[in-house]
Amino acid sequence: MILIDMQTDRFDPEKSEFLQPSESEIQTWMSKAFDMGIEALENGEVPVGCLMVYNNEIIGKGRNEVNETKNATRHAEMVALDQVLDWCRVREKDPKEVCEQTVLYVTVEPCIMCAAALRLLYIPLVVYGCKNERFGGCGSVLDISSDHLPHTGTTFKCIAGNRAEEAVEMLKTFYKQENPNAPKPKVRK
Amino acid sequence: MEPQAKRRKEMDKCDTWDVLPVLSDEKSRDTELLPAYAAPIIEKRETSRLVKELSLIYPLPGLQHIKRVRACKDKSSPHPLEVIVCLARDVAKGVMPADLLRSQSFDSSGLGEPFLVEIPANPPLTRPQFEKASKHWPTSFHEDKQVTSALRGQLFTADQKAKMQDYMTAAVQAAKSGREMGMDAVGAVIVDPESEQIVAVGHDCKRGAQPLHHAVMVCIDLVACGQGGGAYNYEKYPACQFSSSDFFRNGCNSKETGQPYICTGYDLYVTREPCVMCAMALVHSRINRVFYGAPSADGALGTKYKIHCQKDLNHRFEVFKAVMLNACEALHKK
Ligand SMILES: [Zn+2]
Ligand SMILES: [Zn+2]
Repeated sequence: MILIDMQTDRFDPEKSEFLQPSESEIQTWMSKAFDMGIEALENGEVPVGCLMVYNNEIIGKGRNEVNETKNATRHAEMVALDQVLDWCRVREKDPKEVCEQTVLYVTVEPCIMCAAALRLLYIPLVVYGCKNERFGGCGSVLDISSDHLPHTGTTFKCIAGNRAEEAVEMLKTFYKQENPNAPKPKVRK
Repeated sequence: MEPQAKRRKEMDKCDTWDVLPVLSDEKSRDTELLPAYAAPIIEKRETSRLVKELSLIYPLPGLQHIKRVRACKDKSSPHPLEVIVCLARDVAKGVMPADLLRSQSFDSSGLGEPFLVEIPANPPLTRPQFEKASKHWPTSFHEDKQVTSALRGQLFTADQKAKMQDYMTAAVQAAKSGREMGMDAVGAVIVDPESEQIVAVGHDCKRGAQPLHHAVMVCIDLVACGQGGGAYNYEKYPACQFSSSDFFRNGCNSKETGQPYICTGYDLYVTREPCVMCAMALVHSRINRVFYGAPSADGALGTKYKIHCQKDLNHRFEVFKAVMLNACEALHKK
């Protein structure tokens, strides 16, 4: 099921149309994002995976690296954004121009921090799986994706709900193996 | 270290700034008022009966903080007490105040003519809110003494303020080093308040290739570097430093829990109010307290959001602003 957030009026319709991925594109890229999530799971990280797609090309991908780096901000999106910036540097492309045409595919709704980072880099569209009730920055806890923040880049649009149940299952698997006695699974993303 | 003379000069400025708490909206909002009808109690011995009966026919749900009866402030008043009859919104259209008491089931003997008052809609959470509320109608108040002294600027001793000044001075220095390299003049320092050690110093590094390298993000990663982690290399930025001494108690913490909440117990000093990204990064890193100098336009620790007291988030922390406000503001004037 695909839920399109009712924020379309905030966006340039032409740009939005250009970026609007087809159902089959969404399926293809989301399944790769899930692969990244599984990789995170196998490495003992919170299973969240993402891809950044520009002109039908993956220019960045990431999974949580929080435990590996001992840095609690190394979420999948932050890792992928760094790769996008590297990609631009190597090709001497302007990051803003590239990011403005780049779609993020991620298994879980970006958190408040990542949503702000996506704004700061002018990413216009995010396709995500399940909601992030604890930290979500695209409507769950705060709505950083569409709030009026004139000094924090640009707003972005979200397409939510793609393979949401699977994304939740993946998180549940992680927290089960993390602490079998935990009374409540804590979704730390 | 700076020359002693310069240090002392900076210290002298210690009493030119206050440390102000950034409280939640509930604690900092203005007193909201609700119109209500009160009536004088002319027969004092009827008071308890009147209160009991009024509470039955006109309960005040959600207004447990309101004291139903107040003593008359004016000593020359012919009656000693006044009682809340009901909220104005509970009075049906067309009903005159005097009719309020002519209820079939209510014996209004002992009560005078109702009149309009305004009563505080919310329980006061701070002393200033309590004082404002009390001007309108008496309320109960459970005082948080720490908040009261924080609001008076008296939470920290002169010694503690002198230390804050040392840490913020280091952040200002870092901001200046960054500015010399063409960065935004924002500096940050992470401190272990127990050992009084500076754990990491960083400045904004976002010009050029790393637009997300805000000073706070840099500092968090530097703390991770100091614990054998980290995602970046800061060789290009000599003013960005971390201490890798092995008495990090958090190093042990992260081993025990398997979770790298690297800033647990640490304080952050930053010259400018963090943005949304940085503020949330501090939540993820479990920072203990944040002290900042100048506010920022989309700031997330007081200006646009108060991420540190956001309901639903699993970690909250205290935030104080205006530390060395002038020096921090001066960084952005040029
Ligand atoms: Zn995130
Ligand atoms: Zn920031």
